[in-house]
Amino acid sequence: MSADQFLQYLISGLTMGSIYALVGLGFTMIYAVTRIINFAQGEFVMLGGMLSFYLISSTGIPLVPALILSVLTATSIGAIMYILAIRTARRASVVSLIIITIGAAVFFRGIAGEVFPWGVDIVRPPYFTGSESISFLGAYIHPQALWIIGTTLVVMVLLHLFLSYTMVGKALKACAISPVAAGMVGINPKAMALIAFTLAAALGGIGGVVMAPLTLTYYSVGFMLGLKGFVAASIGGFKSPIATVVGGFTLGIVESLAVGVDWGPFTSAYKDVIAMIVLLLILLIRSGRLAAEERAG
Amino acid sequence: MSESILETKSLSKAFGGLVALDRVDLAIEAGTIAAIIGPNGAGKTTLFNLITGVYPASDGEILFQGTPLKDTPSHKRAALGIARTFQNVLLFGNMTVLENIMTGQHPRSSYGFLGAALRLPKAQREEETINLNAMKYLNMVGLGTYAQQNALSLPLGQQKLLAIARALATEPQLLLLDEPGAGLNKLEKQELSDLIRRIREIGISVILVEHDMPLVMGLAEWVIVLDSGQKIAEGTAAQIQKDPRVISAYLGEEVE
Amino acid sequence: MARVKSKWTYLIITVLVAFLILIPFDWFLGQYTLLMTLIGIHTMLTVGLCLLLGYTGQVSLGQAVFYGTGAYISAVLSKTYGVNPWLAMLIAAAATGAFAYVIGYPIFRLRGNYLAVATLALGVIVYILFMQLGPGGPDGMAGIPYLSIGGFVFDNSFKRYFLVWFFCLAVLLISQNIVRSRTGRALRAIHGSEAASESIGVNVDQFKVKIFVLSAIYASLAGSLFAHSMAHISPSTFDPLASVVIVVMAVIGGLASIWGAIFGAATIIILKNELLLGFGEWDIVIYGLILMLVMIFMPEGLFVRLRDIFDRWRLRYAQIGAEP
Repeated sequence: MSADQFLQYLISGLTMGSIYALVGLGFTMIYAVTRIINFAQGEFVMLGGMLSFYLISSTGIPLVPALILSVLTATSIGAIMYILAIRTARRASVVSLIIITIGAAVFFRGIAGEVFPWGVDIVRPPYFTGSESISFLGAYIHPQALWIIGTTLVVMVLLHLFLSYTMVGKALKACAISPVAAGMVGINPKAMALIAFTLAAALGGIGGVVMAPLTLTYYSVGFMLGLKGFVAASIGGFKSPIATVVGGFTLGIVESLAVGVDWGPFTSAYKDVIAMIVLLLILLIRSGRLAAEERAG
Repeated sequence: MSESILETKSLSKAFGGLVALDRVDLAIEAGTIAAIIGPNGAGKTTLFNLITGVYPASDGEILFQGTPLKDTPSHKRAALGIARTFQNVLLFGNMTVLENIMTGQHPRSSYGFLGAALRLPKAQREEETINLNAMKYLNMVGLGTYAQQNALSLPLGQQKLLAIARALATEPQLLLLDEPGAGLNKLEKQELSDLIRRIREIGISVILVEHDMPLVMGLAEWVIVLDSGQKIAEGTAAQIQKDPRVISAYLGEEVE
Repeated sequence: MARVKSKWTYLIITVLVAFLILIPFDWFLGQYTLLMTLIGIHTMLTVGLCLLLGYTGQVSLGQAVFYGTGAYISAVLSKTYGVNPWLAMLIAAAATGAFAYVIGYPIFRLRGNYLAVATLALGVIVYILFMQLGPGGPDGMAGIPYLSIGGFVFDNSFKRYFLVWFFCLAVLLISQNIVRSRTGRALRAIHGSEAASESIGVNVDQFKVKIFVLSAIYASLAGSLFAHSMAHISPSTFDPLASVVIVVMAVIGGLASIWGAIFGAATIIILKNELLLGFGEWDIVIYGLILMLVMIFMPEGLFVRLRDIFDRWRLRYAQIGAEP
């Protein structure tokens, strides 16, 4: 692989990695605050992209308001999902909650496939600022890719500031460290859970609107995106926005380089397998660490 | 001096920075009814958990009938002869009273998936034995009429008896009872004491953790006192009651 | 818990068995033979998951993996290598069981949440492998030989109906035997309290793996039967969504319910093939709604809840009848 090729793969890895990071931030947010793995996280991303295409193509709304409206709609759906599906399942077991979020994911996917006028077709909303790839040190980077990477970094910084310096943010962090202790100092865990879900849906929506022009979108895109976002969050240990983004970039670059190396019978069709193997490895390491802790008492 | 059924040597357990047990030495003779008492947080249940293998010790060793328990996983200790009850009872709510006791026969039976799936003759024979034995222990604790009821439909006092029957069904040599008297009324406590004596009579050594002093003093032949993870005294019930260290450890604690 | 059998139970069983035997006849409900055969196959897929969910409280999103390996191994061995289909089926079951055993221990060290994700990841990997390495690729493979006993070949849907339901009922009866045994009590104990189970000598980890292996073997048998009945298989039958659909069936059938698995499988198969034909993606909308509503309001499963209501109604009816 030449240096130019390597740089190209790096760029595409960072781009995809940013997407995984944005999805992963949603997972981290919900998991850290509520210990729930939200299997519907990828669907918020799908909804963001699909809604933006719908608003821009089917109505006369200009770009920026359409994007904002898409994100707000996805956000509201997240809040509604929490209120109707999660909060009503009072004291549900871990298994029940898993199945409920899977149900929500499948529900959103089906609705998206039926309700939008283009059905199950693949669609692409317009680029934010043009489609001429920019030359950069021998490689090319698409302006939309810059939007994606930039948005991810901005979101990461804003999230970090929010969690560290605002009252609500610090309350969320407290919940993440210990829901019981947080409850004792007057933090309402249900309110925090609602905020976490809403925020995660917003993050998903933002991810969706910013990536759809580049990666296309369709009703079932949420599944693999969600899984890979989960991988990003796992690499980061569900700890902080920065860790999650690092996880996303790592996954994106590993995936991109693995495809680029392209050895033997393993073609790019196996791209998704790489992310899954990374996931299984992380889970294995994590369970090994858990088991070791239990042994050491 | 009969052989000791349970010994601990310098047994310690720490959870992170918190020391739950600190170099505890014990030796309990076979055939004894022993009690472990101490203020809340003294480490009594931790001691039980170490003996039954819920988690490993941080230091020291435990000897059961002279053999170290260190590498024996928790689920194998029942087969060795150590049985226990739990503070929060932990009955199997998805089974009847009799079925709960039948589960206790698990380490004394052996047929597995294949025998069960095909209802092999050996499996059916073992089932009969399990059934008979379970009935025996059911009647021993006096719950004979409740055999087919759901385990959780019993009032607390009887649930605790059921838990003891379940532990007895493992045919142990050592029975650990974790606060068997908690939540029982006076009559029930009397029946409990009688039951524990009957258990000892069939050759099972008993160690109980208890807060109820009259119950302990009337029953136990050997008392060990823990405070903040350390053994501060041991002796007969009479000796313990007069020990100034014990009295001061309980100062501020409600003595019944 | 052993439910008290009444005259009603025996009556219902007799009616259902008669119903089952008569269905494939043209003068009765013969047009539903294929549908019922599919229900039989999916019941085998579901009952394993019901046991897993009900007794270990673990959700596996990877049942389709074992369904697929059972189908593909059996198909390849019998078609490409000329192995007798029965032997191929047996080898597939053994291989699938061994695979489940090997991944079982590490997987069960993961708690709830993570286990679901791990099985999902596995499902993705295996699906892609089927797509890339499976004979015929995404189009799958055809010409899989039928099963036969001596000269009697299971070459039409009438004969295959009885073949599939023979296996299905055998699986259900075996599961029932297991549940009512020492093993079943150990499994129910694990569901009740893992700590107490360990204290009575139950090796919790080993039992969880064993029930996982059992459910994998059931799924493998279902896959082999599917392959040798349809004569054609393709990867899309074994994608991650298929695993989710099996979870839907298990949720309707009820956790830890054996006979409820038929109810769960039947509900979804009938829904998919009769009521929602031509309705695009609405079937998965309904799956999503079922999963959410049942787990929120009836976490023990739909069939189990209905059965409990029926039991209570029956008790009240009996009491009224007993009034002097």
